[in-house]
Amino acid sequence: MSRVIAIAWNTFREAVRNKILYSLLFFAILIILSALAIGNLTLHEEVRTIRDVGLFGIDLFGVIIAIFVGVNLLYKELDLKTVYTILPKPLWRWEFVLGKWLGMLLTLAVQMVVMGIVLAVVLAAEGASFDVPTAKAVWLLFVNVMLVTSIAVFFSAFSSPFLSGFFALGCFVVGRSVPDIRALGEKAGPGAKAVLDFACNLIPNMHLFYPSGAIIGAEEVSVHRHFVGPDYILSATGYGVAYSIVVLILAMLIFRKRDFV
Amino acid sequence: MDSPANETVLRADGLAKTFHLGFLRKRVEAVREASFDVRRGEIFGYLGPNGSGKTTTLKMLMGLVFPSRGRAEVLGRAVPNREAKRKLGYLPESPYFYEYLAPEEFLDLVGSLFDVPRRLRRERAAKLITRVGLDHARGRPLRKFSKGMLQRIGIAQALMGDPELVVLDEPMTGLDPIGRKEIRDLMLELKREGRTVLYSTHILPDVEMTCDRVAMIFAGRIRSVGPLSELLTARLLSTEVCLRKDVGHIPQLPEGGKVRQTPDGMLVELPEGTDVDAFLTAALAAKSSILSVTPRRESLEDLFVRQASEKGAP
Repeated sequence: MSRVIAIAWNTFREAVRNKILYSLLFFAILIILSALAIGNLTLHEEVRTIRDVGLFGIDLFGVIIAIFVGVNLLYKELDLKTVYTILPKPLWRWEFVLGKWLGMLLTLAVQMVVMGIVLAVVLAAEGASFDVPTAKAVWLLFVNVMLVTSIAVFFSAFSSPFLSGFFALGCFVVGRSVPDIRALGEKAGPGAKAVLDFACNLIPNMHLFYPSGAIIGAEEVSVHRHFVGPDYILSATGYGVAYSIVVLILAMLIFRKRDFV
Repeated sequence: MDSPANETVLRADGLAKTFHLGFLRKRVEAVREASFDVRRGEIFGYLGPNGSGKTTTLKMLMGLVFPSRGRAEVLGRAVPNREAKRKLGYLPESPYFYEYLAPEEFLDLVGSLFDVPRRLRRERAAKLITRVGLDHARGRPLRKFSKGMLQRIGIAQALMGDPELVVLDEPMTGLDPIGRKEIRDLMLELKREGRTVLYSTHILPDVEMTCDRVAMIFAGRIRSVGPLSELLTARLLSTEVCLRKDVGHIPQLPEGGKVRQTPDGMLVELPEGTDVDAFLTAALAAKSSILSVTPRRESLEDLFVRQASEKGAP
């Protein structure tokens, strides 16, 4: 495990010293701060707007950063040939992939915490608090980001960063639309419904991680009023972790068979 | 069972690698047949021109590329093996490292991959940085290192696990004469410490100065393996006679003899089989002044060129 930790720590250190990530984080913070201005344009809905725009900013930039870093995670090692120095060391290839993924997860966790703190500051400026539903929403967004990262790493194990980014973004967009796709299937014929149902079961259901506005248990959930309970958080987290593990194992299997020419 | 001195630490047995490139899966045979062994405590040179398959062979031995045919053993275990890797240090060709790290951070990372305890890691890293002459570059990110400095930190990382076998891919490439000498000296030092060194190169004078045994690869196929003394024929190729300029005249040359001007005088090259005594007697009779007589035997370069030009070579 110490070797995995060494790779993870190095990945985190690389991210910390990467100026592009700071730029992305800066824009994320800018969006969250802009929530303050947007909130002031509304009538008695300042806190609601700040919370919505803030969570939107965390979601959007969390996913952008996850895809950006995820697709480059393995590719950069191959492109810069650093992998030639590391893999001949007494290290399994799966340990390398796992270490890279964990390092990236740590990076994203720190970024989510920073964005969460900025949101808390902005809410405090309007006299509101970073309450439990908001914390739950941020946690779900983090699980979502973890899943997107795993998918990006999976694609980057065998394709270029551009294609990996394209596929990962595609998975995210389609994954968020799973309820809409299912609804479409209901209206379609039995053949199309079967195909769409199969696709929905295969594609990660990322709508689980942004449930605000959805009907769960015959009740509409909202981060402003009645949000999801611990059971939902636990099952959504379990789903995200399980899906991540599966795609990560696939990435490891592909990486294990690769020739590093 | 091999005696310790002759113990085989690395064995390549019929290694071959075929790549399938591009959309049409074009076959490229990078290595056709590589069989050789490296014995404990020796410096083994893996020679070949550019594109002959040296790096691909080493990558197969390091587990970076999977062979299409054949097998390889490192320290008694089939490649790739994690236990064997623990006793192995490797420097890739034109090494790239994590450029944001300082040398001590990089060596610390490498040490942790070898499960070296933290305290020992730091001690070893400090010693190696001194050993490769990079004390002045502590704390400086690797992106600011020159090619020679990168090569040195590359060698330091190869030694971080205290290896029995050190594999260096083109360690002299891009280095100035002083850098090359430093690497040569370091390899000899590693040998004195009882380590085995395998390195690939196409710089022949370095091989003559350092290697106990060599293998030569051309177009992906190994053509000869053995000690240099056995590979180079002892036969006389020619005799060079240097005569002082403008003193006397040159006697009649035997068939195949050549004359060329040098700054000191005239250099006469007498082909193999010439009666050199008779030529020298004739030169003295013609009042020539003989500056030197040098028998020319086959050099590594001659052997290299001869093998490269043989049928089937590129």
